[in-house]
Amino acid sequence: MQPVARLTLRALAGVSFSVEPGEAVALIGENGAGKSTLLRVLATLILPSRGQAEISGCDVVSDGAGARKQLGYYTSGNEGFYGRLTGRENLRLFATMNNLMRREALRRIDELAELLGMDEILDRQSRTYSTGMLQRLGLARSLLHAPAVLLLDEPTRSLDPVAAAEFRRFLKGDIVGRLGTTLLFASHTLGEVEEMASRVVLLAEGRILAFDTPRNLCAQTGAAHLQGALERLTGPHSSTERNR
Amino acid sequence: MNMHITFEKLWAFFRRDLAIARGYRSAFILEVCEALFGVATFYYLSRFVESPQLSSALPQGGNYFAFALIGFAFFDYLGVAFNAFDSSLEEARQNRTLEALLVTQTSLPVMLLGSVIYPFVLTSLRTVVYLGWGVLLFGFSVRSANWIGAILILLASILAFAGLGIFSTSYTLLFKRGNPAKWILLGLSGFLGGTMYPVSILPKYLQDVARLIPITYSLEGMRSALLAGAPFRLLWPSIIALLIFAAVLLPVSFLTFAWALRRTKITGTLTHI
Repeated sequence: MQPVARLTLRALAGVSFSVEPGEAVALIGENGAGKSTLLRVLATLILPSRGQAEISGCDVVSDGAGARKQLGYYTSGNEGFYGRLTGRENLRLFATMNNLMRREALRRIDELAELLGMDEILDRQSRTYSTGMLQRLGLARSLLHAPAVLLLDEPTRSLDPVAAAEFRRFLKGDIVGRLGTTLLFASHTLGEVEEMASRVVLLAEGRILAFDTPRNLCAQTGAAHLQGALERLTGPHSSTERNR
Repeated sequence: MNMHITFEKLWAFFRRDLAIARGYRSAFILEVCEALFGVATFYYLSRFVESPQLSSALPQGGNYFAFALIGFAFFDYLGVAFNAFDSSLEEARQNRTLEALLVTQTSLPVMLLGSVIYPFVLTSLRTVVYLGWGVLLFGFSVRSANWIGAILILLASILAFAGLGIFSTSYTLLFKRGNPAKWILLGLSGFLGGTMYPVSILPKYLQDVARLIPITYSLEGMRSALLAGAPFRLLWPSIIALLIFAAVLLPVSFLTFAWALRRTKITGTLTHI
């Protein structure tokens, strides 16, 4: 009777932080720390039982529709496309769902296809795509309505190292740097966090342990690098991967 | 603008389902053949049981074949109303598109509505095929039919059935699997609604229960319109009864659905399979 039973598990508590427009902030922490839950609350997929969260001034509970207008959400490895439709047909459907009229949708799809290097593959059924292609298609979908805020859950999880590096460069250079999109992403890869994030939110058991720049976290803990800082903040047995 | 974009969205869902169905063209051809076997079965069954007493017992006139064919063909709409909402939700969960759709600027009710247009259109085509086989091969006569009346009955029926379908989908939303509401309501409708036999042969207390389910009015009205060519003054009672069902069921089902949706968003189980 889970859906009607009393809620017992507290996934997030006392989490409070704000991200500046155009900033890239990373959520890090062990599995089960609450990173994905936090992103899902911001994406309006989970309603918080208490507290308040806003995306560009829109409350995710009382103005969910307003918040969704401002955000793009993407979870790696959970792309969810219609395999029998082409990439273009998939994007066209999601563009319409984001209130883009036909002409605007087609223009935007062409723009994103060029930006993400997808021109060649867009007219193939999406079931024929590789993991990397699907990820690009997923990112294209989250950018269709030019959101002010992009929420990414482990964006490079299923990419090979070369594709992951390329993807990071694209996110940092084009999405944050050129388009000025605010980025909040969860990651287990500290190299990725150091490369992309100006500030880091360290979560443990649904609470914030630290929120600062990687440099300040190192300075506060006396560690030489982010990995050492996190070990000192969370203890030596953290399951966060240290693949720099 | 809002209305326009909502229609664009509904059309986009229909286009999606049509594009996916294009990959399974042979399925439709097989269904057309299957319909022929179904109609032939009813035809020979009706020849076996047909008698002057049986024909005179049928309230809307015609023979038993015509009576059963309409019951069988239009009962499908109720099945679609129950299954289409449920399966669109389950499919979106399974192929992981639900989460991607939920973060767009489209509400879940519009998504569900958009996802059931194609099944209803397909059912209408299937009904035409059933009746078509009946007319072409088995002497099913629609010469005196009141077609506009039949369309009105159909539209009112779809509204009433959709109310039941959305109500039962709330259960699927909450509990994911198994849906007693669907099976109870479908079973009751098949048993009491007059699909294969007139409601008048049921015991009085069951006839009273039959008056509480929309399919009874739907089949009565449809048979009157198609078989007896009844004028509108005779069809209005069925149409009004169906619209009353819709007026009650649709708001109640939307409220139930909204509550279920909120609940699953709080428990974080909305996209769980």
